[in-house]
Amino acid sequence: MPAYFLEIAIVLLGLGLLMVDAFATTLDRRLLGHLGIAGVAAVLAGLVFGVDSSASEPLWGFYATDTAALFYKGLALVCTLLVLVLALEYAPVLESYRDGRPGRRGLGEFLCLPLFLCAGLMWMASMTDLLGLFVALETVTITFYVVVAYMRRNLGSLEAGVKYLILGALSTGFLLYGLAWLFGLTGQTNLAAIQTVLVDWKGDTTPLLFTMALLMVGLSFKVGAAPFQFWIPDVYQGAPTPITAFLSVGSKAAGFIVLIRLLEPLLASPIRHAVLLMLGVLAGATLIVGNLAAISQSNFKRLLAYSSIAHAGFLLMALAAGQPAGGVSPNGVVALYLGTYLVMTMLAFAVLVIVRKAGGSDELTAFNGLSQRSPFLAFALVLAMASLAGVPLTAGFFGKFFSLVLIAGAGQWALLTVAVVAAACGFYYYFKVIRCMYWNDPVSEAPPLVFSQLTRVAIILLCVAVVVLGVYPKPLTCLLAP
Amino acid sequence: MAEIDNYHAVLLQLLLVIGLAATMLGLSVLVGRAGRRNAIKDSAYECGMLPIGDSQPRFSVKFYLVAMLFVLFDIEVVFMYPWAVVFRDLVAQNAMVFWGMLSFVGILTVAYVYALKKGALRWDN
Amino acid sequence: MILAALIVIPLLAAVAVAAGAPARLTSLAAAVLNAVLTVAALMAFKTGEVGYQLAATLFTVLPSPDLKLSVGVDGLSLVMVLLTALVSLGAALASPSTVARGSLRLYHASVLLITAGAMGAFVSTDLFFFYAFHELALIPTFLMIGLFGTGDRRTAAWKITIYLGLGSLILLAGLAALFLNLGGTTFDMAKLTVAAQTTPMAAGTQSWIFLTLLIGFGILISLFPFHSWAPQAYACAPTPVAMLHAGVLKKFGLYGLLKVALPLLPLGSQSAWVLNLLLFALLGNILWIGLVTIAQRELDLMLGHSSVMHMGYIFLGIASHHLIGLTGAVLLMFAHGLSIALLFFLNGVIRSAAGTTHFDRFGGLAKQAPRLGLMFGLATFASIGLPGLANFSGELLVFFGAFKNVAAGGTLWLPLATILALWGVVMSAVYGLRAYRSIFMGQPGANPATVPDLTTTGLLTALVFVIPLLLLGFFPNLLLDLVRPALAALHG
Repeated sequence: MPAYFLEIAIVLLGLGLLMVDAFATTLDRRLLGHLGIAGVAAVLAGLVFGVDSSASEPLWGFYATDTAALFYKGLALVCTLLVLVLALEYAPVLESYRDGRPGRRGLGEFLCLPLFLCAGLMWMASMTDLLGLFVALETVTITFYVVVAYMRRNLGSLEAGVKYLILGALSTGFLLYGLAWLFGLTGQTNLAAIQTVLVDWKGDTTPLLFTMALLMVGLSFKVGAAPFQFWIPDVYQGAPTPITAFLSVGSKAAGFIVLIRLLEPLLASPIRHAVLLMLGVLAGATLIVGNLAAISQSNFKRLLAYSSIAHAGFLLMALAAGQPAGGVSPNGVVALYLGTYLVMTMLAFAVLVIVRKAGGSDELTAFNGLSQRSPFLAFALVLAMASLAGVPLTAGFFGKFFSLVLIAGAGQWALLTVAVVAAACGFYYYFKVIRCMYWNDPVSEAPPLVFSQLTRVAIILLCVAVVVLGVYPKPLTCLLAP
Repeated sequence: MAEIDNYHAVLLQLLLVIGLAATMLGLSVLVGRAGRRNAIKDSAYECGMLPIGDSQPRFSVKFYLVAMLFVLFDIEVVFMYPWAVVFRDLVAQNAMVFWGMLSFVGILTVAYVYALKKGALRWDN
Repeated sequence: MILAALIVIPLLAAVAVAAGAPARLTSLAAAVLNAVLTVAALMAFKTGEVGYQLAATLFTVLPSPDLKLSVGVDGLSLVMVLLTALVSLGAALASPSTVARGSLRLYHASVLLITAGAMGAFVSTDLFFFYAFHELALIPTFLMIGLFGTGDRRTAAWKITIYLGLGSLILLAGLAALFLNLGGTTFDMAKLTVAAQTTPMAAGTQSWIFLTLLIGFGILISLFPFHSWAPQAYACAPTPVAMLHAGVLKKFGLYGLLKVALPLLPLGSQSAWVLNLLLFALLGNILWIGLVTIAQRELDLMLGHSSVMHMGYIFLGIASHHLIGLTGAVLLMFAHGLSIALLFFLNGVIRSAAGTTHFDRFGGLAKQAPRLGLMFGLATFASIGLPGLANFSGELLVFFGAFKNVAAGGTLWLPLATILALWGVVMSAVYGLRAYRSIFMGQPGANPATVPDLTTTGLLTALVFVIPLLLLGFFPNLLLDLVRPALAALHG
């Protein structure tokens, strides 16, 4: 079947569940979540087995179904699946911060909105036209505005929503202005056509540089690159934890696929060196800011926010290399990194949701003695932290390793040094969490940790994935060869 | 460089606008300084009504909801106008023109039904 | 398949222990099984044959670049595997059956993971997995020292983790640069060696990459001035971890230099300025740390510093670039691994019985604990380099090789460094004999601490180390014949 049936299926699923939520007033809302999970899993199966990428009509050049698009679609689907599982787990906390009768507190919509996010992310992965790209981007961003501020009686959530709205709108303005300039310079909205025009660009490159700057500002906000990362800690900390997970993985992946697609014509144009220099500077600044700021964090959710900034730095570093090296290409390394990042971040957030639900706090002290309270969760979090730090034989190592190879191949020694120091910082703050779990004793009267079977299965699968992908990353290497 | 000639009018308008705004503000400062002030002169102007209560009273969110929903569905209709103009010619080439608008209207209808069911337009509570 | 089993058995044992199998029994069984398999590998190994034997490719990770989990041993790797098997057997025997705090299962599972990592690093013939397996030991070490250690264990755990993490990242950068400059298509060590010989890199590039690898491996080996993590970490670590780290994991760095850095960067490793830096650093190890060791008044810190100091000799052997010096370095690696593991084991026995290792609290212990005294004496003499024990042959070959190189046209600083390094033997005699005298001879001091004699298990553990030390002390050729062909092939 053509690939765009997938998004249509997800949207119909979302709308259907929304209707069920509106009409069936006495239904247990969790059923919507289960239906959503089943639906997303079915669409994922459709993606893996049923998509006929060669035969589909490209929708007037708007829609691409190359390997990269299908890979990122799969990433969005898996991310949504896990976010729905987390949302079901997080439901009691969510409902405690909203008004209304018990059972009518908006859990239903909260379980439907990730589906629309998923559809938006999937569209973003495929769009090869400026207009389509922007529409998909806005679909995702505006839905995120809604879900970030979802816990109406929680000041943190509201503050996060407002901050995200204001800064997001500002950055969208920059991005749109850049897209307008790009259209003005080339007269095309199709990215392939734009590339054809830019490759033969003669004359003054100042307009191109201006366009690049505007686009970079807008997209750096999206991926959380310094110096546009200020929104991330507060928004990540305030938003409901499953949404933070979605922001951390899904929004970042979407930001990167848009970055890759938009920069492709610019990298083929005469300003290639300026683009790579810009990416290098952004990568270096992001690595420094993200890692140094994470060292002093005492709140686990905020620590994960800064860690996501740090990982964005590594991803940008891979793109800043600009050329394949050692048998891998920058786009392939970014895809591999994001795939492994999905697994390990979701694992960390899964444990965080469970601990938060039991203890009422996201601070590191809530994790004290987790090895005694629940060895299973402690081991899962050790795997997640080790993988995030980049310990070999876990999933997170391949991304970091190949980023270093790309940078070494491009001869950017300053960036290599920054990356090595940054990764070493990572050992400290990720292991801080391990320390709390194993070296410290739990607070007295620590509440019991309860979680559903579905979450348990999800955590086990994620643990297995982290270990297996550490030695066998084959499922994620489809884009790796240059 | 010859293109810049087209923008002389813009420059003129810009100067006019800035000048007008500056004149109005400047005059009010200069002339207003001469007068004597008292409490009644400095109070907020409410078309003759006495200013009492909150300057920003809380009002029911239903106004906001109705206004917001109005804007959304109004824009839906606005989108239908250019579509209607080109529909007859395009539908002969490709039926997608019809299905596209149908799915657009369909999604917004679902949203409308949802809003109705959730009581977004309910005025009396 | 034997080699794959050497990695898999400790891993499976760790999983079994975590799942609930009796902890000490499982880890002992795994260690004994590993030792038996190592002996089998020794029998199956054909001495004198060049190239990797018992080789197998377990699975292919990536086709391009060529990344496979492949195993194989040449003489050098086999020696290291033997060392790991012996030390891990000793560590398993030294592990307790109960712990005061924390979970016993975690204790034994961590020790098994460290063993698996060390084994994997030594049998890998793929550069990626050679690095990756060594890192397997990072988190278990962090947990073990922080949870089960003694003294200022938290600081020690952080220090070793961050320092080794930084060192391994610098090493990673160096390995990435090495991989790229040798074609960037394969990680297989044999193919990389061929590439280094057919298309060598420019001398300047080689020097820089070698320096990076030297610093990276150097931090792992506690090369001066990157040594400050080691003494405190070894002093605070629980006994099996100290044995494995000082005995085996430190040697990983040296093995890496011999296997990877020297053969693939021949011009870089012999460039004058890098060599002089290395000589300066190793003299720092021997002389400076030697003096610091003499100043120590506690046995565990003294042993930690002495292990740092002895690395200087091995570095001297590596710097000599002469086959005699290199074979001496390997023999010394093996011997030092055994002797320091034995010393840390005995230190652990004393510490767990007396609660302290300060020299002033002991005296005349040889009367109450004759077996302990005998084993400690043998270990100390081995560490000093007394003839009859393996360390002597290693040190002798190192000094001869380093001094000899000047005649073959090496840098003139080498014989100077050798002469200065010889003083290290005197220094190790000073602190070793002083430690022995303070603890085992003379009269008990005020408020003496009592230490019971070695149990049968303890004696058995000590013998695991003492017998090879004595054997190789009298018949060093048993090991040298294994190593010489491999080193000759690697260094041309």
